[in-house]
Order: sequence, then C-alpha cells, then structure tokens
Amino acid sequence: MTFDITDFILKDGVKHWLWVFGSVCGALLLASLLLSYVVTGMKGPGKVIKTILGGVSDLYALSLKRVFAIASLTIKEVIRKKTLVVFIVFAVLFMFGGWFLTGSTGARGDLEVKNFISFALTTTSWLILPVSLLMSCWGIPEDIKARSIHTVVTKPARRLEIVIGRILGYVVVGTGVLIIMGFAGNIWVHRQVQKSEEAQKALFCRVPLYGDMSFFDSEGKQSEGIHVGDVWDYRRYIKGATQSTALWEFEKVTSDILVNDKLKIEARFEAFRTHKGQMKEGLLCQVFLENPVTRKRVKLPVFHINEFTQNIIRINRKLKHYDEKEKKYVELDLIDDMVFDNDINKKENILRVGVRCIDPGQYIGMAQADMFIRYPDRSFDVGYSKAIVGIWLMMVLIVSMGVSASCFLKGPVATLLTFSFLLVGQGGFRQFLNEFVDKQVLGGGPVESIIRIVTHYNQVKELEEGATKMVAEVIDSGFFYFLRIAHQIIPDFSSFKMTPFVVNGFDVSWGSALAPSIAITIAYVIPCVLIGYFSLKSRELETK
Amino acid sequence: MEIENVIEVQNLTKIYRDFWGRKKVRALNSLSLNVKKGEIFGLLGPNGSGKTTTMKLLLGLLFPTEGEIKILGKPADDVKKNERIGYLPEESYLYRFLNAEETLDFYGRLFNIPAKLRKERADKLIKRVGVQGARKRQLKEYSKGMTRRIGLAQALINEPDLVLLDEPTSGLDPIVTRDMKDMILKLRDEGKTVVMCSHLLADVQDVCDRIAILYSGELKELGKVDELLKEQDETVLRTSKLDQNVIDQVKAVLEKNNVELINASQPTATLEELFLKTVEQSKARPGQRFVPENEQAESKESSTNGSSKK
Ligand SMILES: Nc1ncnc2c1ncn2[C@@H]1O[C@H](COP(=O)(O)OP(=O)(O)OP(=O)(O)O)[C@@H](O)[C@H]1O
Ligand SMILES: [Mg+2]
Repeated sequence: MTFDITDFILKDGVKHWLWVFGSVCGALLLASLLLSYVVTGMKGPGKVIKTILGGVSDLYALSLKRVFAIASLTIKEVIRKKTLVVFIVFAVLFMFGGWFLTGSTGARGDLEVKNFISFALTTTSWLILPVSLLMSCWGIPEDIKARSIHTVVTKPARRLEIVIGRILGYVVVGTGVLIIMGFAGNIWVHRQVQKSEEAQKALFCRVPLYGDMSFFDSEGKQSEGIHVGDVWDYRRYIKGATQSTALWEFEKVTSDILVNDKLKIEARFEAFRTHKGQMKEGLLCQVFLENPVTRKRVKLPVFHINEFTQNIIRINRKLKHYDEKEKKYVELDLIDDMVFDNDINKKENILRVGVRCIDPGQYIGMAQADMFIRYPDRSFDVGYSKAIVGIWLMMVLIVSMGVSASCFLKGPVATLLTFSFLLVGQGGFRQFLNEFVDKQVLGGGPVESIIRIVTHYNQVKELEEGATKMVAEVIDSGFFYFLRIAHQIIPDFSSFKMTPFVVNGFDVSWGSALAPSIAITIAYVIPCVLIGYFSLKSRELETK
Repeated sequence: MEIENVIEVQNLTKIYRDFWGRKKVRALNSLSLNVKKGEIFGLLGPNGSGKTTTMKLLLGLLFPTEGEIKILGKPADDVKKNERIGYLPEESYLYRFLNAEETLDFYGRLFNIPAKLRKERADKLIKRVGVQGARKRQLKEYSKGMTRRIGLAQALINEPDLVLLDEPTSGLDPIVTRDMKDMILKLRDEGKTVVMCSHLLADVQDVCDRIAILYSGELKELGKVDELLKEQDETVLRTSKLDQNVIDQVKAVLEKNNVELINASQPTATLEELFLKTVEQSKARPGQRFVPENEQAESKESSTNGSSKK
C-alpha cells in the first residue's frame, strides 16, 4: 500500500473553492437571468433578482428553533417509520462475520488483525452510507407527495429551514447509528484479537512523521535515483558501496518525538541484486545523521535490511561520535546537536537522515514514504475513532447531496443522481477523468473515437486532415470543456478513505486525510443547501 | 368608515401545466374579489371549480399565472404573512406518525411559540376540537373526522387573524359539522376573518356572511348570503296546523286579492334537523332503540324488557 503523504493546504483549498464556487454561481446567475428573459420577457430578470434577495432575507430570518423543530420531526419520522430495521442486518453480519474471518489467513495474528479491522470498518460504512443515501433522498419527495409539507410551508417556516432541518435530522440519526455501530465494531475487534497474543500486540496505531526525500548519485550530485527497470516505478534505487545516498529531511523534530530517550525510525527497503551474494542475509545498509550547519555526520551501526517488512532503527539520544579533528570520541545530543534550522526556506528543527548501501554491486530501493520517524504510538481506539469520523463526514456529505437533489427530483431519480455522484467521485473513475481531461487517453474525445472505431483507424495515428476532423475536434472540445467543469465540480472522495490507515496499523493522518475531508465536506454542504433551498423555493409543491 | 380588506385579489388566473410546460387545465380565470376584515367568506362551487386552487394561490403554495394577490397587506409569496394565518387543507395533510400532542407542538414550534404557551394552547385546542381521548395516539390510527379536527386545531395554534378553511366539514358527522360551524361563528365573534370553501350549500348558508360562487374557474356570483337568497316576489306565512276548511277560506281571501297560492302543505324538517334531534335524544336516553312497527308486537310477547319506540 502507498500513502499519499502530501499535506492538505487549507489556504489553497479555500482559494480554489471560492474560485469554482464563485464562477459556478456567476454562470448560473447569468444563465437564469437570460433564460427568464427569454421565457417571460422583461419581468423575468426582475423576478430572478427578487428570488435571490428573498434568499438573503430568509438567511437573515433563519430561526434555529424552527430548524430544530424540523430536524426533530425528521428524526421521529425515520424512527417511527422503522427505516432503521435495516441495521439489524448489521448485527447479524457481525455475529457471523467472525466465523468466516478467523483462521482464513492461517496463524499470522498480525495479519488477521488487519482483516478484523477492515471487516468492522467496511461493514459499518457499507451499511450506513446506502441507508443514509436512501433516507435523505426520499424524505422531501414523500413529504411533497403526501402534501404534509403544505402545512409546514404555510407556517412561517422558511424553505431554507426545511432544507437545513432535514439535513440536520438525517445527520443526527446517522450519527446515532454510527456511534452504536462504531462501538459494536470496536468491541467486536477487541474480542476477536483476544484469541491470539500476537494479534493483541498488533493492535495499535503508529503515528508517522514523514520527511522530504532526495537522491544523490555516486558522485554526490542530486539525482532522481536509479531506475532498475521495475514496471512499478514507485521506488528508486541507490547503488551499493558508492556515494549514492537517499537523504530524508524531517521537519519539526523536537524531544517530544523521543520514546524513552530514543528516536524510533521505521523503514521499508527493497533489494535489487545484480549478483547472488549472501542470499541468507539481507543487504547491508548504513544510516547516518547529518547536521550541515555544524558539518557533523554521525554514522550508525551497519545492519542487514529485512525486505518486505518493517525495519526498526532505534537511535539513542546520546550519540557516540568519533571526531576526526580532535581524534577522540565525543558525546553528541541527538536533538541539541543534530537538529538544525534552515533559514533560507524558513524550516525549523530539521533532522537529516541518510541511507547508503554497503554491499558492492547491489542496490537498495526506497520511496519517500518508506522511511518515517515514529511518534509515540497511540492506542488502536484513537485511529479507529478517526476512521469512524471519516465515515461520518462521508455520511454528512451524502445526506446533504441527497436532500439537495430531492428538492428538485423525485425520490428514485434523486437517489440515482446522488449515487452516480458518489461513484464518479471515487478514486478509479476520478483518475480516468483526470487523464481524460488532461487528454492523456489515446483516441481523442467521443466523436473522434467513434470515427476511429467505425473506420478501424489506429489510436496512435493522427486523424487525416479535412472537414471530418474539424467537426470532430469542435464537438470534442465542447465535450472536453464540459468535462473539465464536471471535473471541478465532482467531489474527490479519495481522502475520505481512512480505513486503510487503521488497517495497516497507522493513526489517521490529519494533514492528508482528516483535514481535506472536513474541508471537502464543508465545501459541498454549502452549495448543496443553496441548491436545495432555491429549488424548493422556486417550485410549486405539487407532484408532477 | 371603510372596512379594511384582508384579501385583495385582482385578475387571478391559474393554468396548470405538465412537466414539459404544456397547458393542461385553466383552473382559474381572471378572478377578482376582496375579503373584508371580520367576515366569514364562502367560496362555493361544484367539484373542480377552482376553490382549492384559489386557496393555494392565496397561500403561495402555487404561483399565479397572472394576476395579483395581497393577503394581510403582503404578497402571497411572503413567508411573514403566515405568522397571522391559519390553514386547514382540503384533506388533513398532517404527519401521520405524530400523535395529536406532538402535532400541535410541532406546528407551534414553527411559530416560535414558547414551550409553556405551546403546551397550554395545545391542551385548549385538543379539548376544543374534542380529541382528548386520543391525544396520545398516532394520527395514522385516527378516523377521517378525527384527523379533520386535529387539522383544525393545527390551523388555530397561532391564534391567527385570518383562517383559511378548505372544506372544513368534509368527512365530519352532522354533530361535529354543527360544532365546526359553531366554532367558525365563534372565530368571527373573536374578530377573526374566515375564508372557507365548500360545496355543501347548507354549511355555507348557515355560517357565511358573503359568498362567491365559482364555476369552472370563473366567478359567477358574489354577494351577501341573505341578499342573494332573498326571493323578492314571494311571502311565506307560517301558522299552527290548519284544517282543510280554513285553508279553503284563506284561498278564497287570497283569490279575492288576486294573489296566487303556490303551495299549502305541512312543512317538513330538514334531514339535518331530524338527525340532530335523534342523536340528542339518544344521548339523553342511552338505552333506547328503534324497533320497526311490525316487530313491535312480537317483541312484546317474547320479552318483557324489550324496548319500544317512544
Ligand atoms: N396539481 C394539479 N395539476 C393539474 N391540474 C390540477 C391540479 N390541481 C387541480 N387541478 C385542476 O384544477 C381544477 C380546479 O381544481 P380544484 O382542486 O381547485 O377544485 P375544487 O374546486 O377545489 O374541487 P373540489 O370541490 O373537488 O375540491 C380542476 O380541473 C383540477 O383538475
Ligand atoms: Mg377542493
């Protein structure tokens, strides 16, 4: 598994959001002004502006009491209509799940733990997400169909309050269920691991501190690292018994990071052998710490690497160092002497760690996320709760989208729309969309592709010049334009996937998972509420 | 002094369209009318004549195709007007999973009425519409009449100045119909304006001050009920029972004066009156039962405690 360790930068996110949100709003406003003018003449644009001003005054008059009244109505509705019976399925699954999972992977307790955690979290999300999708998509359409909404909108209840109240109600119900399921899942995992001591030991969360990484070649110049011809170009290699180095710089290293006065580094290496050498032992590797300010370099003992599993390197705070100039051993402090500040790019508390391969003619491969410093470990429950928070955020997003869609669509259509949004926002499709938008996909847009299919034209070759090509390009560029907008609008749900962190024994990262998920949720809830409100306000509440 | 208009409607037209925007029905055609403060105004008309449509337009539930609406001095789509309006829909579109108390509490909360006052009002209204016995039962278990009553209670939770009642008596038994009419009259006595629509002529006649008659979306008649109903060229005499002899004499007198006698017969009570009387009497004497005459003799023979017609 690989982690995306790039941190989410809030300021850029907000800027991007404002830009997209603003331009979409602007475009919609312009379109509705034009459309209303075409349909109803001079009066139209005035009406549109009045509606928007009405929205502002509704926002101003928003009463939380009414929102809560509608939310509690929603909660009662869900409970009394017995929608939640579905969750009994969950309980049953849990009861039987254990039978199938234990023993399936053999004796390795730590691997079994992965299965348990992943089962608990996946079941939770697979039950809660579809149910909240259905709940939220059917509420308002049913309300309109039964016309019970007539008795609400003829009270001083603003339609904005109805939309927010509904969302809130479903979120509260979902939260309640999620808490129960979360607890049940957690207890279940704990009970399952009690069967083996190995498994119990594996139940904790590592908190990694990732660093920036760069490669240096055998002459000591910065390089890309050596590519050994692997299909998977994730890891790059350093050459043994040369100056070739992989160098990490970890920021924010303070004494807080030490466990029992020791620095704990975890690393994962891959070996590439050009000759057999000592097959029984791993390749020899040396790690060193370097302070470029004081020009001190402390070499740590050489060790054999374990491939395909973790290498733990523990470094004492007090370092023994042979000083070349003074020709004697001196004692250095890991934090006080080795950690430095870089004034040029305003980075503080940097620890520089280098890795070299000792075995001549062999290579060691690594990637940026392969080495990290470990903060004191956290309990499994912490990571587990964070993963539940991830599911919760996803649920909030689904509920808002569902309620919003149900304000202008009937139940089944709203469900379908929200579901396709979900699907499209998932990793795989998004990646395809990314490539498509960047025109990395061979064969061009839809029209061009059709021409190629019909004429059995090669994907790689350019189309022949002429009218056909021009028409195809014009239509396709329109299509690409549309896709590019869609690409901006469709949410990226990949950061909501926090289960893998916990499954692999990590704490859920704030910067690359929680923070962006929270930001995405907020970024989508706001337009969802607005869309829901304006659709509900501009329609007659009769079923068509 | 000019009496204030609570509702002003000018040239109101409503065309229902389907999903694609094609015209389906012209439900209302250029309707203009005013409702004055403190009166009971009746919208009358056969099924499908546009009564409900008018109500919904007044409330902003539908958007007019053409025309202007001023209700309590505000346009129909202004939510603020709802503070002073109570609305009983055609069928009681309430939340069927709530019970009577919760229903009133919920609607009270939408008006931001403080909890204590809400409770007080709900109690009072539940008593007033007579569903105390079922206050804790969910509305889905209610009979149509009970739902209607809680629907009315719901419309009065904010003590509105203007009450819009869409067929307030539909589905109600005659006693409750009577109650309902009394309640409507009482609302007027409290100074509230009531607009109701119905096709039950008797109801309208009993309570309304002014009526408008709609027929397929057009206003056919508008005015005060007693003026509309007054037959200008007839006089009705009502006396204690006369025998044929006296009737003949009266006829002679009338003929002498060149007056035509249209009808001379014993008056019949309306069915409503009969029904009301019967129910009242059975309330007073609960054990009593009606037995057809040919069965009376048999029952007297077979049992001594058989009941008999009074
Ligand atoms: N939602 C709607 N869509 C299309 N047509 C409608 C709709 N509601 C009502 N109509 C039509 O509008 C006309 C007037 O209907 P409306 O409900 O106002 O009549 P009404 O006077 O209230 O009748 P009733 O006494 O049966 O309640 C009818 O022809 C009806 O078919
Ligand atoms: Mg009607």
